Formats: sequence, C-alpha cells, structure tokens
Amino acid sequence: MTGLRLAAFALVVVALALFPLGAGNYPVKLLQEILIMGIFAMSLDLLMGYAGMVSFGHSAFFGIGGYVAALALARNPGLVSALLLPALAAGLAALVIGFFSIRVGGVYFIMLTLAFSQMFFAYTFQVSWLGAEDGLVGIPRPRVPGWDLGSLRGFHAYLLVLLALAALVLWRVVRSPFGHVLRGIHENEARMEALGYPVDRYKLVAFVIAGVIAGVAGSLYTQFNGSITPDAFYWQTSGEALLMVIIGGTGTLGGAMLGAAAFILLQSLVSTYTERWMLILGATFILFVLFAPGGIVGALRGRIGLRA
Amino acid sequence: MPVDLFGQALNGLAYGVLLFLLSVGLTLIFGMLDVINLAHGSFYMLGAYAGLSLIAATDNFWLALLAAPLAVGLIGALIERSCLRPLYRRPPLDQVLLTFGFIYLFEDLVKWIWGGRIRSIPPPDLFSGSVSLGGTIIPSYRLFVIVFGLVMAVLLYVLIERTRLGAVIRAGVFDAEMTAGMGINIHRVFTAVFAFGAALGGLSGVIAGPIQSAFPSMGVTILIPALIVVVVGGLGSLKGSLVGSLVIGQAETFGKAWLPDAAMLIIYVVMAGIVLIRPQGLFGRPLK
Amino acid sequence: MMDEVTRRKFIGTAGLAAASAAMGPWVRRAGAQSDPVKVGLVLPYSGVYAVLGESITQGMELVFARENWTVAGRKIEMIKEDDEMKPPVGVRKTEKLIDSDKVDILTGPVHSGILMGMRDKVHNSKTILIVSNAGADAISRERCSKWIFRTSFSNWQPCQPMGGWVAKHVSKDVFLTAPNYQAGKDMMNAFKETYVAAGGKVVAEDYPKLGETDYAPYLTKIRQSGAKAVFAFFSGTDAVNFVKQYDQFGLKQSIKLTGAGFLTEPDVLPAQGKAALGVITGHFYTPVLDNPTNQRFVKEFQAKFGGKMPDGFACQGYDTAEVIVRALKAVNGNTQDKEKLVDVIAKSEFDSPRGRFRFDPKTHNVIQPYVYIREVKEVAGGLNNVPIDKVANVADPGTGCTLPA
Repeated sequence: MTGLRLAAFALVVVALALFPLGAGNYPVKLLQEILIMGIFAMSLDLLMGYAGMVSFGHSAFFGIGGYVAALALARNPGLVSALLLPALAAGLAALVIGFFSIRVGGVYFIMLTLAFSQMFFAYTFQVSWLGAEDGLVGIPRPRVPGWDLGSLRGFHAYLLVLLALAALVLWRVVRSPFGHVLRGIHENEARMEALGYPVDRYKLVAFVIAGVIAGVAGSLYTQFNGSITPDAFYWQTSGEALLMVIIGGTGTLGGAMLGAAAFILLQSLVSTYTERWMLILGATFILFVLFAPGGIVGALRGRIGLRA
Repeated sequence: MPVDLFGQALNGLAYGVLLFLLSVGLTLIFGMLDVINLAHGSFYMLGAYAGLSLIAATDNFWLALLAAPLAVGLIGALIERSCLRPLYRRPPLDQVLLTFGFIYLFEDLVKWIWGGRIRSIPPPDLFSGSVSLGGTIIPSYRLFVIVFGLVMAVLLYVLIERTRLGAVIRAGVFDAEMTAGMGINIHRVFTAVFAFGAALGGLSGVIAGPIQSAFPSMGVTILIPALIVVVVGGLGSLKGSLVGSLVIGQAETFGKAWLPDAAMLIIYVVMAGIVLIRPQGLFGRPLK
Repeated sequence: MMDEVTRRKFIGTAGLAAASAAMGPWVRRAGAQSDPVKVGLVLPYSGVYAVLGESITQGMELVFARENWTVAGRKIEMIKEDDEMKPPVGVRKTEKLIDSDKVDILTGPVHSGILMGMRDKVHNSKTILIVSNAGADAISRERCSKWIFRTSFSNWQPCQPMGGWVAKHVSKDVFLTAPNYQAGKDMMNAFKETYVAAGGKVVAEDYPKLGETDYAPYLTKIRQSGAKAVFAFFSGTDAVNFVKQYDQFGLKQSIKLTGAGFLTEPDVLPAQGKAALGVITGHFYTPVLDNPTNQRFVKEFQAKFGGKMPDGFACQGYDTAEVIVRALKAVNGNTQDKEKLVDVIAKSEFDSPRGRFRFDPKTHNVIQPYVYIREVKEVAGGLNNVPIDKVANVADPGTGCTLPA
C-alpha cells in the first residue's frame, strides 16, 4: 500500500510540475493559489483530523506568517525572510496562544483561539505601520541565486518544493509514535491521560507544528500576491480552511489539498456561470457534513460515513 | 470636551440590551443541545429582513415584531429537525460545522431574495423622534429598545425559572438523558428550544433593524459580539447572558467614546481575559 | 475613494449587456487591427458595492451603445471581471486581463487598495489604465504613471473646496468624522487645508471603525462637543447608518451636517430618505445640473436603464468611455502605437455631464470643472442633491508627481 501511495504522490507532483508548460498564466496562478491554501488546510488537518482540536483561530498563524514575511522581504529579500522568520514568528505565537488555549479545552478552546485571531485582525486593521486596512503592498519575491522566483515557472517550482517538504513533514509526524499518541488522544483523551501521557504537552506540540506550517503558507501567500491584508487574520479565513478540510476529508492530509482545490475552483469557476456561488458552497458543505463526513477522500475510499 | 456619562451609559444600555436579546437564544441553544449555533447571526439577519418585508407590506411595525420571530422560529425548527437531529450521536464538532455551512447558505439566500443593497427599516411612528432625558438627548426608539429588552429579560426569567415548561428546559440543560428517562419527549423539547432560540435571534434582528438597517453581512458582523457575550456570561446561563451583554455593551460604548483606536480590540481583550481567568464565564457551569 | 474592504466572500457575475464571459483563455490571442478593441473592467459586481460597479458600467455602455459598439472600424469588446472589493482578487483579475485577455485599455477599480495593488503591474506592462473610480491621492502624486489616467476624482478634490466654503457659510466650529482608514484621513486633511486657512477651528475629530453599525457613542460626543457643524465622510452602508442615526439623535436641527459627496449619493439616498434632507455635500456632479450635455445624459440614461437616475459613478463611467472613444477615433483605431494613444488621451477635452472635461497634464488626473456644493432637497421625482454653490477648476496639487512632459 505504501509503495502505491508513494507512486501516486510522485505522479501528482510530476503532473503539477508540468502544468505550466501547457496552460496559460491564469490557470497556473489558480493552481498556485490552490497549492498554498492546501498547505494551510493540511496544517489545520493535523490539528483537527489527528489531534482532534477544533481551532477557529488558525488564521492567526497564517496572518502572522504573511505579515512577518512582508515586513522582512521588504527589507531583505532572501530565503531567511521568506521562510525562516515567518515560521519562527508563527511558531512562537502558536506556543503562546496554544499554551493558554489548550488548558481550557473544549468549546472554550474554540472561543479563545477565535478571540486571538480576531485581536490580530483588529490590530492590523487599525495601525498604519502595518498598512491598516490596505495592508502591505509591493512586497518583492525572495532572491535566490540561480533561481528566478519572479517568473511564473520559477515560482511554481519553488512552491512545489515547499509543498513536497510540508507534505513530507506532516506525513512523517502523523506516522511517527508522536502521531499515534495524538490519534490516541483524539479517540479517547481520558484513557491516554490514565496511561500517563502528558496530554496537554502533546497537544501543544501539535499546535505549534500546525502553526509553523500555517505560517509558512501565509508567507507563501504574501510572496504569491506581493501583498498581505488584515483579511488573512479574519475568522472567515479560518472558516474556509475548515471547509476545505471537511470537504476533502479530515484526517487524511491529502484530503485537505483536494478540499482546497474544490473550494477555490468552486469559487473561481462556478461564479462564472452563476451568482449563487455561496449558496452552492453552503449547501455542499452541509450535505458533506450530513452524509459524507469522510469528505471526498472518504467517499473515494468507499467509506462514506466513517472517519479515515 | 465634557463627557456625557449618562448619555453614553444609555447608549451602552441600548446596545447591551440588543446583544442580550441575540445572545440569550444562543446560550439557551448551547445549554440544552451543546451546540454552538454559528448560524445564530443568520437568524438575526433573517428576522431583520422578514421584519423589513412585513413592515413594507403592512406598514405595521408591531405586527412585524410579532410575526417575524415566529417565521424565524419555524425555520429554526425545520433546521433542527432535518439537519441537526441526525447529528446528535456524532461529536459536537459536526454540529458546529453544520451551522457554519448555514451561514453561507443564508447570507446568499438573503442576497438572492432581497438584493445586496442596504435596506432601511423605519422605526414605528410612535418612536421616531428623540427625547430629552436627564440632560442628554436620545432617540425615543432606543429608549423603547431598553425598556423592551429589560421586560423581555424579566419575562424570560419567569418562563425559565417559574413555569413547568421552564423546569423541563432546565432539566434538559442539566441532564438530557435523565430528563428523557423521566418520560419527557426530549426530542420535542430540543426542537422547541432550538426554535425558541432562533425566534429570539430573529426578534433581536427586528428590534435592531431601525437602528442599523438591514444588509446581507449583518449576521456575520453581529456573531462575534454575541459569541463573546455568551462566553463572558457563561454558556447556558440566562443570567450570564444578561450580565455579559450589559457589560460588553458598556465596554464597547465607552471604548468607542474614550479609546477610539482600541475600540475594535476591547471586547476581544475582555473575552480573552475571562476565558483565561474564569473560563466558565461569570455564571456558567464549571468546566466538565 | 471607495476604499472600504468588504470582508465577505461574494462572487457574482454582472448580467448586463454584451460582455464575453471572462474565462481565462488557454490560447493566447493575436492583436490584429481587425480584432475588437478590448476594454477591461475591474469592478465589484457582487456585494454592497456592486451598485457602484453597475453604475460605472452602465455609464460606459451608454456611450459605447451610442457608437453602436464600433469605433474607427473596430468593434469594442468589454471584458468585465468581479474584483469583490478585495485587493488580492482585484490584482489577480488585473493580471488575467493584462496577461491572458491582452486588453488594450484597462478601467476601474472602485477600491483604492486594489488600485494601489495593480499600479506596478500596469506601469511595468505599459498597459493604459483609466481609473474610473478609486480616489487614492497617491496615484496622482508620488505613484503617478504616464500610463495611468483618472476620470473620476482624487479624494482630495471633493473635500478641499468644502473647507473654505464651510468656514465662510456654515460655521467655524466644526467636528470632523470619517471611517478610520487612509481615505477617511486623507479627506479630512484636504478639508482642513482650506478650512483652517479661512479661520476655522477643528473642535474635535473622531474616526469610527470602518463598517461601524452603531454610531451612538460618536453622536453623543458630537452633541457634547459644542461644535456648530459636522464635516463627515462616509460611504455605502456606513453613510446610510450614520446619516439616519444622526437624524434620530435630533442633531440635524442644532448641528449642521456637511460632508463629502459620497455621504448622500444616489446609492445611499433612497435608504436614508428624509433623514438626509438639508445635508450639504461637495461633489463634482449631481443629476440636476442644467447644462445641455447633462440633460441629454440623464434622459438617455433613464431611457436605457429603466428610469434609473444616473449618479456620479455613472458620470465617471460615461467620461471614461468618452475618453476611449475619442482617443480611438483620433488614432484611427490603431491600438498598437501605445505612446501615441497615451498622447491623444492626455489631450482629451470634451463636454461631459459635469462640465468641460480635461486631464491635468501634470498628473493625468481629471481637472474638475466644478466642485458643486449641494444640498439634499425634495424635488420633482424625489430627493436629490441640488447645487447651491460651486467652486471652479479644482485640480489635484499632484505633489510629488513627475510625469514626463
């Protein structure tokens, strides 16, 4: 099974890599947006699908990654600014926010993570040094010797490399003993505690890993657009990631990417034919929750109604 | 510049009462069904738009005040019966997610039927002017809102604490299984409570309409303050909802008046503070 | 000007007139002379600001339809893209129009954030952009470009003349208020320039958050402040709620409400109703102007669009299309020689519904023939902004703009 999975994965990566050769600029850009949001959604899936933590404030780390990248790249366009600093900043924020939120757990966890991301939203919307409601614009892409990230194909390759890395990291985490403990916590927290596991600490580590990857996704978003706005922090950004994970299938990682594709394609393409895009999305989502909680992946696996 | 303390306090009271009417439904639904109804803002919005159409058709604000919540309550009952009930066996997350999907659905539905423009809702003729009170001037409609809200608070209290129906609800909130074991059709109670909560949400929408007009994103806008009130007051507690909304109402109003730059941040800070120090809120049940 | 950010996801297609569906083509098109002239529109067609997108588009369609959609032997093709009032979407749609659709002329947007976001792409790709709404002052100042023209206004233009006028005719004790974002602050600063110079005193300033629905705390402050008048800038939903609540608090009688024109434009006036009566605002246009071009414009617009009253946005669209049509005629339909096209556009001069239209060669921004001081009154057909005074030849100072001569 694993060999088959690996082959399928490799095939997908190759297909994605070759895409710009045949397609026009606009579809390639659409794909790139899907890949970036897919990374964001995958990080949320780690939290939701594996650790069982529902966060409505995941956009906090996406936004932090985005803004830190914007501020850093404007001064020093290199990979450190593009990747390292945003990841560190997001990780630190996740550590702090996670520490306070995990303690309370349950529905209060949802509320507190939401509150934190909204606070970031309110702050960035207000202050002029962060561009207020217009955000930061004119952000250059990082300069890597021998690689033109300004070109469509150059950036595409860069994205694929990072996507592969993120996917690999998450895949390893999920398959590791740590990942197994996480799933145990998801299934029966009380039992894991009784067995002596420091449950909160495991959750915090998961939260930080997810936060770091979300931060990288955010910084990629800034690099992709050349700008970042407070919307990145808004709770609907978190909500959209949630939708992507559910539609794709929680606890599958690959599902999150599929969900991102479904969401963005729905948004861009369906809107050409009908104004009622939001209605369709809402209805689709409701139907998935009711009848296909395994999402697209769950349905594909023929296991409708069961979690992966 | 001299500060009109009394005037601002009245402003805060009017806004707080509005929040109460909206959040009491939310907290009841959570208390009974363990569901955070993210679509509650949508009920608010539907109430306002239903009110808009009813007033346009009948020119009677009071009729709209009565009928719109009933319509919204009906919609709530339908949703509970068809979409929520199948999910009770599943983890509560699924129910929250379901209600999240409804946000998108309702917002687009409203835009489809009423268009995307902002629509003005006239206050009743009786309350269309302003009054001078205690050295300040306040629109008479806002005074009406304050009185109405406080009366509703009393009525709700009496209903929940002093009637048999209320006892059933309280029992269901406390322990649904036991209540079902006592021979009460708990499913019907669930539907009734959800519908009642939805109706209250719709009612607050009609009341808010003459102040802030009707626009498709109004549900989404009011949802966050409502959630904050419920968390601060304590999920499931009527008293908490009242106290929480009055507190948040004053905090936001005086925040806007004195610290305008921090206006957006204040309620989040309050909420974060409460969750950190006393997570169950002011009057909620202690964490399980 | 309309810089408010809508945070909701609204997608929609405008269903108006003959526009080709905007699906990114997978094959690049060649730009031969017999091909249609492609005019791209980046505007909001969904959400609260769709009404503005519609008005601007309708103004343009009126002109193109009059020309039978053919100028200098070439057909005109409008390609509309919904920017949802969001900078990332707007920039992406702009790139699509420039790279995939290869538009000859780009127009729009409503949102200044989108304008600033697309500025570099437009400038670097040497695409001609005619800004049909967004009022960010910067585009006529330090971020100007020879490829960018503006037919609408800079945020400075409707407000700066109001300052002196309010000081002279209304009061020298004014309270300023606008939403807390760049456009709001820019407008208040423009007002202050002439207001303070005329001896006016700013009693206090307040900047509620964008999208505020309850202005009560601010209105109570206004009442307490001792100001005799208010100068305000709000638009869209904010304008409706502010003006209505201002009236509900009984402030209109004692404290005169004045503002930038967008406070009472036709997109919000119906919802405001009688609450807007007596409000005085500054704007370069109002449908009741009695010059012959406007009278014809209003008549034709109402005939074509089911009795709808044109507004400033429709006028902006009209002027944008006029500029395009006249320029195309002047170059005989040759869109390949972009330098020539820019030259010809810069020299545009014609009768617009707002008066005699010219671009300022220094900034490529329109020189407002007049900024009208208007008062909301009840006239035949309902409420409208009636001019009671005017200031002539208002040109943006263009500080920091260095266009090649």
